[in-house]
Amino acid sequence: MLVFYTSPWVPAEWIAAHGLEPRGVWFAEDFALESAPLAAGICAFAQGVVRLAERQSQSAVVFTTHCDQLRRGFDAAIAQAPARLFLFNLPATWQTGVAERLFCGELERLGRFLVRLGGQGPSAENLRTVLDHYASGRRRLLQAAGSCPGRQYAEAVARFHWDGSVSLPENGAGASGAIALALVGGPLPRAQWRLLEALEGAGGRVVLDATEPGERSLGDTPPPSGLREGTTPAYDCEPALRGLARLYLANCVDVFQRPNTRLYGWLRQRLDSRGARGLVLWAHVGCDLWRAEAQSLREAFGLPLLVLDADDAAGAWPRITSRIEAFLEALR
Amino acid sequence: MSEGKAEGRRQKAEGRRQKAEVCPGSALPTRHSPPAPRHSPLRRLTLAEWDARYAELIHSGLREADYGGPLGRHVASAGDLRLRLLQFDDSAASLRLWNFLLTENQRLRQARADGLRIVGAMKDLGTVAVMAYSLPGVRAFYPDGAWWTPCLMECSDGLLRQAEGLGIDASFCPVRAMLAAFQNGEHFPRPDLLICSTGAVCDDFSAIAQRLEKIGFPIVWWEMPRRRPPEAGETAVVLPGNLRAPRIQVECVREELARLCDILAELGSGPLDEAALAGGIREANKVRRLLAALRRRVYHAPAAPLPALEMLIAEMLAIHFCSDRQETIAVLAGLLAEAEARLEQGRFAVAEEAVRIFWVNPVADLRAMNLVEDWGGRVCGSDYMFTHALDLIPEELPPLEALARTALADPMAGSTLERAARIVADCRAARAEAVVVARIPGASHCAREGALIREVVRRELGLPTLELEIPPVCDALLPALGSRLQALIETGRRGRG
Repeated sequence: MLVFYTSPWVPAEWIAAHGLEPRGVWFAEDFALESAPLAAGICAFAQGVVRLAERQSQSAVVFTTHCDQLRRGFDAAIAQAPARLFLFNLPATWQTGVAERLFCGELERLGRFLVRLGGQGPSAENLRTVLDHYASGRRRLLQAAGSCPGRQYAEAVARFHWDGSVSLPENGAGASGAIALALVGGPLPRAQWRLLEALEGAGGRVVLDATEPGERSLGDTPPPSGLREGTTPAYDCEPALRGLARLYLANCVDVFQRPNTRLYGWLRQRLDSRGARGLVLWAHVGCDLWRAEAQSLREAFGLPLLVLDADDAAGAWPRITSRIEAFLEALR
Repeated sequence: MSEGKAEGRRQKAEGRRQKAEVCPGSALPTRHSPPAPRHSPLRRLTLAEWDARYAELIHSGLREADYGGPLGRHVASAGDLRLRLLQFDDSAASLRLWNFLLTENQRLRQARADGLRIVGAMKDLGTVAVMAYSLPGVRAFYPDGAWWTPCLMECSDGLLRQAEGLGIDASFCPVRAMLAAFQNGEHFPRPDLLICSTGAVCDDFSAIAQRLEKIGFPIVWWEMPRRRPPEAGETAVVLPGNLRAPRIQVECVREELARLCDILAELGSGPLDEAALAGGIREANKVRRLLAALRRRVYHAPAAPLPALEMLIAEMLAIHFCSDRQETIAVLAGLLAEAEARLEQGRFAVAEEAVRIFWVNPVADLRAMNLVEDWGGRVCGSDYMFTHALDLIPEELPPLEALARTALADPMAGSTLERAARIVADCRAARAEAVVVARIPGASHCAREGALIREVVRRELGLPTLELEIPPVCDALLPALGSRLQALIETGRRGRG
């Protein structure tokens, strides 16, 4: 059974270890973004997930709580298919034992959900095998980050989130003389990869893809040993599950976290090392979490910033393309 | 009823009302009112008319709290220009309510000058304030309340424009005014400590608070999980508001609140232990009981003894006691006494034939609450996004457990469908004839919740519903607002068969 997940911080390993097939929605061919009128304030990505949940009647969909749009999108979808939809509570805080406990609790609950769908509770050995497989894939993808052309890299990472496989292009860096750009922001599904083509077509080179399903989603830092020991309250949890929760909490780098200082630290390190000359912020309609960061990103990194509305409405792409061209012209 | 008898009863009730004004903590009437006689509704007063009314009240011996005075002064002293277009209830109790509300920043500054420590609690709307007020020498307020400043000052404050300069534009909810108010320091004093809930909270607020931290206002964040029903095999815990959550969520919130207790205790002049918290809960429940009685008397009465605008303000007092818990009790006691007296006398603020409207979400422009009555409606129930601050905090439980359960009962932390279910139950109890969902401009939660709530209400109750977006100053939209609200009211009236 396919289990679509909507945030890279839902451990695909956990789904795979149950014998089901995790599928990151960003690579789904039938994942369509539906732009609502601007005044409606509905995020096209969240609406796309709701529609996917309706359409994929034989599959399960894991929503997450990390933003209003997905959280309430779940409320809109749940009445139709309560048995195959799941809302994963991603904690926004990350420095406390409570965050870890919540994450662990959600993994346990997700496990029960997967078993109800026909999955099998994984043995420790099986889980370790799956974890190793995913860790190896992440490492390979991370090694290629910054040197692989943006469009191909986005596809490679999205494919990894789709089926756990890694398929990297043979050719290396993009055109010499191109302007190094960092792309930051929310979801970038395959229907919107033309953004990367537009950036590269206008003379840019994406040296950092920090969108939701991009390089940012691949952290493979092992959690510090003894992480938060001593402050974590005693609670029942399988050690393997706790390890998985700690791995994800240690690597989660996202805008919704409070404080979201880890996102800035993560970006700073890579922007500096890769010589990015400009930032492109990809924000969906109604995505307050990313839109509110525009000014902070400018202030933190001192780089020119272009805010692009992730809008697929008719006529939007020519506008996006001309704005990209103007931005790169100014950077030359 | 003869004129003489009616006059006798009126005088008797007036005497009781004046007694409540002078002795606000006095015991409240508990007996039920007789059936409501039909009288013409009381006329609301303009700000200018209040000057004359004020003189009359003073002449008749009104004694005021130290923040008292004529309402009109707030226009000159604080720039609250919107007052000029509002219409007010004419009672001394309402005068006290308005003066209490409009002097909050001033009173907070005085508290700071008196050496009290100030806590800015953000987003959880009710719980952290109860904890902070359990400590001697601490005042807490929700800077979130600054979202009404652009309305009150008719945008002359420039806060929305300044927020835009800080990167938070009109695509965000008017609570962005808070960001600018922090930066310019012209409204409330800078708190000694800022505490903000995060997780299952409005994205607008969370994003704005994060921006606030980045411009130099450190924040203590605490996790509010998205409330969910317990699953098979999980221990269920009953929350206020007849909700349920799994034990693990309650425990997580309780741990977070325990962490906040330690932080708050460093600020106060004593330990924030169980005894202190239990005392704070008892006092908070006094406020909640008064408010529950007031809402019941006003909303369930055949005709409303107090107008919707004053009721909205009164409900808001539950969140952080308008920075003075004892005075909140006095203000609410005064309003309740006024409502009781009017019910007894058959004097009403809104006529009995007005269509009974259940109101969902607060309005960015206070004037909307006047308009709904002008156009033939009355508010008979409300969910202003903080029903968890109205429900009693369980006193029989250990204090942190009780507070955790209360915090988790936040309507915005759970499913919209759960919120809708409570709205349906409250509509039934209040015999609502129509439902208005006020859409808050730019608020991310409003993108979906209005449609979901309206669908449930229509399905369960068959009532007409309307979603209205009301900006901080709605004057330019009056024709559209008027026609839509009037159509709803007319439909509600036709439903009487």
